[in-house]
This record gives sequence, C-alpha cells and structure tokens, in this order.
Amino acid sequence: MTPDIKIRVADLNFSYRDRTILQDVSVEFPEKTITALTGSSGAGKSTFLMTLNRLWENIPNAQMQGTVEIKLQNQFRDIYAPDLAVTELRKMVATVFQVPNPLPMSIRKNVAFPLKLSGERSRGLVDEKIEQALKMANLWDEVKDRLNEDARNLSGGQQQRLCIARALVLEPEVLLLDEPTSSLDQASTAVIEDLLLKLKDRLTILIVSHHPEQVKRIADKVVEFTDGRIITAP
Amino acid sequence: MKRYRELIAERVFLLSALASSAITVAILVFMVFMGLPLLKQGGLYQLLLKPWAPFQGSFGIYPMIIGTGAISLLSLLFAFPLSLGCSFLIGSIAPPSVSKWFRRLIELMTGIPTVIYGFVGVFLLVPIVRELFGSGSGLCILTAALVLGIMITPTMTLFFCDSFDRIPKAYLDAADALGASPVQKLLYVILPAAKQGMINGVILSLGRAVGDTLIALMLAGNSVRVAESVLEPARTLTAHIALVIAADYESPEFRSIFACGVVLYLFTMAVTFLVRYLTFSKDQTV
Amino acid sequence: MRYRSLERLTIIFAWLTGLLLLSAVSLLLGYLFIKGYQSVNLTLIFGDASPLRAILLQERVFNGLFPAIVGTLILVLLSVFWAIPIGMATGIYLAEYASPRAKRVLDAFFDVLSGIPSIVIGLFGFAFAVFLHKHYSDRIGPCLLISSIALSFLVLPYIIRTTQASLEGIPRETRLTALALGATKFQNIFLVLIPRSLTGIMSGIILAIGRCAEDTAVIMLTGAVASTGLPRSLFAQYEALPFYIYYISSQYADRAELMQGYGASIILILLCAVLFSVAYGIRKGLTHFALYRP
Repeated sequence: MTPDIKIRVADLNFSYRDRTILQDVSVEFPEKTITALTGSSGAGKSTFLMTLNRLWENIPNAQMQGTVEIKLQNQFRDIYAPDLAVTELRKMVATVFQVPNPLPMSIRKNVAFPLKLSGERSRGLVDEKIEQALKMANLWDEVKDRLNEDARNLSGGQQQRLCIARALVLEPEVLLLDEPTSSLDQASTAVIEDLLLKLKDRLTILIVSHHPEQVKRIADKVVEFTDGRIITAP
Repeated sequence: MKRYRELIAERVFLLSALASSAITVAILVFMVFMGLPLLKQGGLYQLLLKPWAPFQGSFGIYPMIIGTGAISLLSLLFAFPLSLGCSFLIGSIAPPSVSKWFRRLIELMTGIPTVIYGFVGVFLLVPIVRELFGSGSGLCILTAALVLGIMITPTMTLFFCDSFDRIPKAYLDAADALGASPVQKLLYVILPAAKQGMINGVILSLGRAVGDTLIALMLAGNSVRVAESVLEPARTLTAHIALVIAADYESPEFRSIFACGVVLYLFTMAVTFLVRYLTFSKDQTV
Repeated sequence: MRYRSLERLTIIFAWLTGLLLLSAVSLLLGYLFIKGYQSVNLTLIFGDASPLRAILLQERVFNGLFPAIVGTLILVLLSVFWAIPIGMATGIYLAEYASPRAKRVLDAFFDVLSGIPSIVIGLFGFAFAVFLHKHYSDRIGPCLLISSIALSFLVLPYIIRTTQASLEGIPRETRLTALALGATKFQNIFLVLIPRSLTGIMSGIILAIGRCAEDTAVIMLTGAVASTGLPRSLFAQYEALPFYIYYISSQYADRAELMQGYGASIILILLCAVLFSVAYGIRKGLTHFALYRP
C-alpha cells in the first residue's frame, strides 16, 4: 500500500543575499511517516524546513520561488496563497528548533501559550489539553507536580520535550524538527526518538538529522541534500 | 624606550579617567560647599520644607520641589502611553518598512533643541490653553507638562524599543513558529520579557524630565506659590536656578539655588543607582 | 473572546499614538516654518551690513543673527576641543586598561555625570567663575571660556561612551592580529583599534556637537548675553543662537524682533537636523548606546 501524499514541493528555489541555497527542489512526503532530511551542513536542509512553515519570511534579503502544497484538513492547499493566513499555517505545521527554546514563563504557561494565541479561554479545557500534550510528549510524569515552575529550570532533554509538547498542543498535522537532539545527551536523545516513533501514527514528521544511526533507527524515508539539491529521493 | 612609552600612555589614559570622574565629584562638592552657609543658618528642615518668601527672610525651596514633581510626573503621564504605543508600532505592529522609517524619524526628533519646544509652546500652546480654560495667562503646569511630555516621548520610545531589541531571538522564533500574530507576539512574549528594561526607561525618562530647564522656565509661569491646580503657574528647581542667578552673590537667595543644585544632583544619583541596581540584579522570571 | 479584543485594542492604540506623536511634531515644525520661513534670508543674518564685509569682520552686524551664529560655532568648537582628548582617553582606559572592578566604579561616575541636569552644570560653571573672580582676577567672570568648559563636562559622557563602545565592539580576531605580529598594547590601540572605531567615535562627537549647539541652560548661566556683538576674546561674553531664541520669546519688543526669533529657531533646527542626520547616518547602533547608558 502506498501511503497518501501529505506535502508536495515543486520547483523550489531559495536564495539569501543573492546566494543560492536551494535549487530546483521537487519532492513529496507521504502522510504519517517519519522522513529524515540529511546532508552536510550548509546543504540547505534547515532552510528547506523553513519554506514549509514560512518562517524564512522573517529573514531579510531572502527570496523564494516555487510552490509548496500541504494537505491540510484533507485538502491540498498552496501554503503561500493569500487566503491562508501564515499564523493559521503555523498552527497546523508545527516546528521544533535545534536548541530548545522554552519561553521565559512557567511550564504550564509554555504549553498553554498556543492555546492562548488561538483565544482558548476555558480553564478546564486548557488544563486538559496541557495534560494530553505533556503525556503525548512523555513529559507528564516528570513535571506534573511542578507545572508552575520556570520552564528554564528543566534539563535540556526535558526542555526539548516541553517544546515538542508545546508544538503538539494544537494538534498539528505536520511536525518539523530541526536537529532536535543535537544539543542533548544520549539518554535524552533515545527518549525523544521513542517519542517520535510513537507520534508518527498521528502526524507527518520531517526531521533534519546528522546522525546516520538516528536516521536508521527512526526514518521511513530519507531525503539527502547536497548543495541545495536533492540527490536521493526513493 | 618602548617600555616607557607604554607606561606613559597608560598613565595618561588613567589620569584622564580620573580627571573625568573627578568632575562628577567636584560638582557635588562645590554645590554643597556653596550652599552650606544657608544650611547652617536655617537647617535642612527650613530649607526643604519652608515657602520661598525672601522679604520675610524665608528661603525654603519647598514650592520648587513640589513644582518639579508636579510638572515632571504629569509630563510622564502624557509621555508614557504615547511612548508605549509608538514603541509597539515600531517593535512589532507596523510593517517593517513603516517601522524602520518611523524609528528613524523618532531618532531625529530627539535632536530637536529644547528651546524650540519652548518657543513654539509660548506662541502656539499658551494662547490655546488660555482660551480653552479661560483663566490666567496660559502659563501653567499643564502647558509645561504637555510640551515636556512631547519632548521626552521620543527618548522614552527609544528606551522601550531598545529593551525590545534585547529580547533573545529564540523567544521570538518560538512565538513565530507557534503561529503568533505580530500583536500576540508583542503582548505575550515581548512585553513580559522586556518589562525590566522598560521600567528602567521610565525611570531614566523621569530623570530627563526633572532635569529639563527651558520648558518649565518658558511655559510654567514661574510662580513661587504652591499651585493648587494644574492650571496654575509653578516654578521648578531648575527654573529657580536660572531665575535667581542674577541676585547678589552673598545673599541667602543666591545660596538657596545651590540647595536646588544639590537636590537635583542627589536625585540624578538616585535615578542612576536605581537603574544600575535594577539592571544588575538577576533576571526576573515572568 | 477577551484576548481577541485586547489584541485589537492594542493595535488601534498603537496606531493612534503614532499618529498623535506624528501630528504633534508636524504641528510644532509646521507652525515654526509657516510662521517663520519668510524671515529666513540674508537680512535676518546680517541685518543692514553687507554679508561679505561682515564675514571678513570689516563691518559690525547690529541687527542680525550673525554674532549669535558665530558665537554658537565658536562655543561648539571650543567645547568639543576640550572634551575630545580627555573623553577619548577615558574611553580608551575603560575599554582597554581598566580592571572589571575599576570599570564598574568609573561607569557609575560617568552614569551620574551624564544624568546631571545641564542647569546644575551651568550653575557649577557660574559659581566657579565667581570663585575665580573673587580670589584671583577681576577680569574673569562668566565668559566664553567658562561656558565652553562647562559644556565640555556636559558632553564628556557622550564621547567616553561611544569611544568605549566602539572599542569593545571590535572582534577578538582583529584585536589579536597586530599583537600576534609583535605590536605592543599601545601600538595595537593606536594603529589598529582606534582607526577601526573611528566611525563610532565620530558619531559620538557629532552628537556632542549637536548637544552643545542646542544647549541653553548651561550658557545662560555662564556668559551668553542677548547682544554684545562678536566675542572679542575667550574672556568675553558672547551671543548664541539658543539663548537668543529664549531671550526673544520672553523679551521681544516688536514684531520684527519676534520674526527674528522664528528665523533663529529655523536656523537652529536646520543646524541640529544636519548634525543628527550625519551622526545617525554614520552609525545608528552606537548612538543608542550613548542614549541608553546601561
């Protein structure tokens, strides 16, 4: 059975300060799988992730051509179309960064933050979703008694799982991870890898990774970048 | 030879630094020294809390302290919301091109000479206030505070923008990636994280407002009575110094302006050390 | 939806305040220019005298701004002349020599200095002049020299801070290059570090110039007068643009004098606008440091 396609990228070109970063990238990603993006540093993997949630638009002097379509709510949509608000897109295409970036607030408020952004006010519902997300991120048992502590007091691995929980709380359809374990030790890495394998039943995961073993352990599919092009797309 | 040159250079730099810092001390010492005779005569209580009535031999600077407080606090009341809104606009709400242009404009505004604000205030705002409230000459606390408020707004706005700029990029990225709109990013991420810096900005702006001479001198009416409403004239410590300077050098009137100088100096010091304390004390969690 | 309405209100509030500030400032400048543009001409500056002969100092200008403009220029040049060497040397000491402890202490001094109201510095200058007058020479009183020294105190922090900031902003690699080639610390500072930070220091100097040109509080206590002609020596009183504007606003006798006040304001504002544009053009980041005084 061939899985359904979730993301379709066609003829993508990206440049920064007149330097080409991505060139003629066309690729598809299947639904509910983990795809690893590999390649040497500077090959354009992280940039590619940023074209899927439009985060690159914050970078001055950057330019992009091409189309990106993602199946959102069972319907393929051009994510650069004017009728799709960028804030809506980012709620459905969540991102986890290389270095954990909890906001300077309590654990609870960090996870509740996206709910606050979408205007959710019911305290009961918020608490319920926080618990759900933290459980999904395998963090609940470690933090349930200290939800009001500053999130920056958590260990690096916990912080990263908190960021994943925060990304999951709005129930996104796609999860983008940019080398999420590169700043973590082996044990924390293993925890996060297990977590990703568990999550793939629910959503489509794209992960940038430098470690061949990690790719082997978790990826269903590998896309390799070299000098802004894709060389293997089986 | 080379060794000597190194040593001499270092000594010269050190001496310059010492000389520059000596100026700071010298100013205070001189003020205290000149104001001392009056202090001995009547005591601190008399000086700070008595009214100014030279013909009755009373040289208290109490009315000026009240005048300074009223005008600077009222001006802050005008300037704070204005600066807050303008820094919101620059920090996140306006599109980048507008925000850049607006910020440059505000930077230029900090360069408008104070005397110009005063001059236009005298000929434009004073008649308006006079007509509008139909009492007095239009030279009053309100007029001075309005103009002073406009004058410190650009500075305060830049202080605020500056504390926005210091927020770690990771926080902003996190908010962006979670789909926060610009105004949400501002309200829920930038503002809480920049609070400390913004408090510093307000304190420093208060320092500027208290230290300004020309606007109060030109627009507040300079009455030595304690004002009962904002539509009455008042005199600030700074304006008092400017107005009394012409008197006889030995007179108690003349001595009293050094008391004003000392009060202003000590206030400056308090502001500086408060800001330094707040800056150096640990980051606070939101 | 409480959050939504809060957000919407914030947006409206921000645009309103921006508009308000903008209109306040356009009102200020517009009023000045519309009322005063007619008076800006050569007669405003030179009065009845011939411009060329006035500039060559062959003819005195009695009813023009020429003496005030010249007075302001000389004052600015003198003040900056005193402030630059000691300010730069202090900045260099702070950035390159001072121990962290010494730096903290000195920083506190300069933070206080930069916050002292200008009228207090003016009062200091005035009292100092009186002191000299009583104890040393009858010839010394409030004068150009005293004013310029007091003003140099006022702007010293600007020059110290910009020098320090631009030196500290130089990356480590650049710092080490000359040292690795056998340069001494002093050579490194003068041949590599200072030239690298000149633009930053320049912007500090220009800010200082602007501050000297616009200040009224210091000079009104230390020797500026409404009418005396060109200053004859360092120990003479002098005219200056900002003081003239202040004087006119309270003492103008007739419409013609008032119009001169408008004209003088326009000239002063243009002067400051030019200075600030240049300073911000050179380097906008550093000016912030001077402004913020962390």
